[in-house]
Amino acid sequence: MEYLSTDKILVIDLATSEIEETALDESLVSEKIGGAGITKYLYDKFQNDDPIVIGTGLLTGTTCPASAIGLITAKSPVTGKLCHCPIIYKVGIEIKFSGYDHIVVKGVSDNPVYLWIHDGVADISDASEIWGKDVWESTDSLRKHVGDDLLQTMIIGKAGENRSDYAQICYNYWSSPDRFGFGKLFGSKKLKGLAFRGMGLIEVADHENFVRRSLEILKEIKTNDFMTKKGIAEIASALGEAGIKEWLEPIVHRHSADYFTPYATNTAVFLDEDPKRVEESKVAEPGVLISDVPALLAFKKLGLSAEDTGRAFKACAKYGIDPAAVAELSGKSSLQEIVDSFDGLSGTVTLKGKGHFSSWCPLKPIFNNFGLSGDAAKDETWWERRQAIALIFGIQPIFSIMCPELSEEKLLELSRIGTELDLTQDILDRVVADLLK
Amino acid sequence: MACEMACSYHRDDGFAFLSACIVAYRAREKRDYFGILLKEEEFLKVARPEGLEVNRIGEAADPNKEADASAKPMLLREGCDLCEDMDDYGPMCIVICPVDAITLE
Repeated sequence: MEYLSTDKILVIDLATSEIEETALDESLVSEKIGGAGITKYLYDKFQNDDPIVIGTGLLTGTTCPASAIGLITAKSPVTGKLCHCPIIYKVGIEIKFSGYDHIVVKGVSDNPVYLWIHDGVADISDASEIWGKDVWESTDSLRKHVGDDLLQTMIIGKAGENRSDYAQICYNYWSSPDRFGFGKLFGSKKLKGLAFRGMGLIEVADHENFVRRSLEILKEIKTNDFMTKKGIAEIASALGEAGIKEWLEPIVHRHSADYFTPYATNTAVFLDEDPKRVEESKVAEPGVLISDVPALLAFKKLGLSAEDTGRAFKACAKYGIDPAAVAELSGKSSLQEIVDSFDGLSGTVTLKGKGHFSSWCPLKPIFNNFGLSGDAAKDETWWERRQAIALIFGIQPIFSIMCPELSEEKLLELSRIGTELDLTQDILDRVVADLLK
Repeated sequence: MACEMACSYHRDDGFAFLSACIVAYRAREKRDYFGILLKEEEFLKVARPEGLEVNRIGEAADPNKEADASAKPMLLREGCDLCEDMDDYGPMCIVICPVDAITLE
């Protein structure tokens, strides 16, 4: 596959330490488009080895607005369902630029390892020095070891090592959309995580037309009222949570966006530093970055202050445990009790939707209603399809449920321009149907 | 980072980050400290939250300032040419910035 692609799929067998590269066939893109369409195909192909498939969308890391994400496809060790978890922040695009469109990790390692993927090279590395360390220490250690502060990581903490059902794969230092216990899956394979860095070049079939259409779509997006808003509190407020902005505002430091996403879906809060500080903090770990609106609301509902909610998020991110599961199952209402509950957490997390996509992304449209009637069943069908589309093309899922301008037709149009393949609505409908069945 | 992508596109006609002369400064992730670096022929401009810093390339760096490790040193990159060959657009970093954070004076 010559365009919008690295043309490489990586297959790593942790049991034998064998690493194999195969080409991404154009025929596979013609049939499955990309992202979740291809990661599901690869999962099915290697399903006897209980694989973890890491992939990128067809448009990931391009000038298509919000083309920010990669994804993890695997069977949840908790629900037994095939699930797809978005890879957000700046981690998803780094996968593609590190030299691979898709990475299949199969088998079980005898000893703790991490995978170091960089500039088209993959190594299985000894993780004995970081096994036992929390997520933050592990990312710091890997960045120092490689000598690059922009190294991007997918890492488990002690929850994953201890094979907790609520263990979450974290990205760099932060909680992720993993609601599926993929952290437990990593732990059971003795896989501490993956580190990515790359300076690859993605070629485009008709680059001038692709960029021109991207900029036209961006111009349309910028007419939205949501362009005057930022951060997670605005999202929660749009979902009907009264008073959330006033509750959170005193500790907000800054809002940030995933790669080229016009709305800042992440909010950094400062807990041990003045949130209004403009200069670089002298405090090594002044706060935490939050992207999980449902978990934020669940902590608030427990009666936690905004500051204690931030501290709970920070503790969850270090331990590598799903903050939404902690909020739902701990049954505690003080910060210390919540943190103390990590090891003994038990119970069943309420499943939202069909369970294939992460309910980290709110289940209702935000800021725009997409012409929905308010019928719950129809809204859920719309949400499932919208998630599938986002994960096929590599679009930030929260942005996809606020931005009608980023339509299926436009994403297909950019894909055709970028690849010169005849990618049609019929093909997309078949790929979506396969993901939703 | 969209500005990096657009800048690099202007040089490579493909999508990459390596050739960009404008770079999002995001190495202090835990401290949530970010900014923008712009390499010009003679100057390195650093747009920090607290203000703009302009350094002449070749002058000694402040030894008291903490340096970030990176695989892509700024000083090895080409200087900004304001996308002189992009007649339809002008500087690509300005056109593509989704929040209009970059301006030309």
